[in-house]
Amino acid sequence: MEKEKSDGDKYLFDLAVFLATSARGCVEEPHLYGPFRLVDALSRLIELPKYAACIKEEPFLAKMKRVIDEKKFLVVSDTEAFKAFLDSLVREFAKELKRRSLETR
Amino acid sequence: MDVFEAIRDRRSVRKYKAEPVPDNLVKKLLEAAVWAPSGSNIQPWNFIVIKDRKVLDMVRKISPGYFGDAPLAILVCSDKERAFKLGGELGRDYLSVAGCAAAVQNMLLAAYASGLGTCVVKSFSSTAIKHILEIPTEIEPELLVIVGYPDQSPKPPSRRQLREITFLNRYGEKYFEK
Repeated sequence: MEKEKSDGDKYLFDLAVFLATSARGCVEEPHLYGPFRLVDALSRLIELPKYAACIKEEPFLAKMKRVIDEKKFLVVSDTEAFKAFLDSLVREFAKELKRRSLETR
Repeated sequence: MDVFEAIRDRRSVRKYKAEPVPDNLVKKLLEAAVWAPSGSNIQPWNFIVIKDRKVLDMVRKISPGYFGDAPLAILVCSDKERAFKLGGELGRDYLSVAGCAAAVQNMLLAAYASGLGTCVVKSFSSTAIKHILEIPTEIEPELLVIVGYPDQSPKPPSRRQLREITFLNRYGEKYFEK
């Protein structure tokens, strides 16, 4: 349990370092790197249950992580396709949000 | 390997095998780098070879553009004091960066010809990397080259067409008709 806690703490700290350095980098980087860092951070955040046993793994989020990791590098090869990927990602989240909201009504 | 083949087929690799890069290959990459041209022959480059797992891990964490778990990275820095002394403001502000970029390209091609994969990263925190690697003020980290044996074969991204970007004798006059 202690090990799990320390792994979770370490993962959280590493994620914080990623976010802090990304924030500084975004000042000068191409504007699409902002959304790129955000979805990359989302992918990393979804991994948190692996390091913190108190957080349950979510099948929907795990699926979104796979999609993100497959598509995120479009940012450097095809910006239109990258934007379309972000749109489809948001659509997936909206569908899931609606489904969950209606379920709990 | 034919030089043009290396130029055309090299890709940015973001997934690596754990296998270490032998020291003789590291030396080959560095030798390729120092044979690059540089304005006013400034040779502005300094290299920091990062192999220590813990140091590499720290560098990865402060570099949002660093993907994959390669066993090696080489930080290419420019010596701004040297560049200014030999090349004035142009040397310090422009030639030093252009020289380091040429050195990096040589490294990438030598790596590809040796069966290695690479990825050039500029998205790292300069402030953090200078602190972690104890880099003095006058030395500027320019580009980080991730090196390892590739565990993927990325598809080539599209290229701008020569006929759209090449002109003959004056801007606007097409060099290639079709």
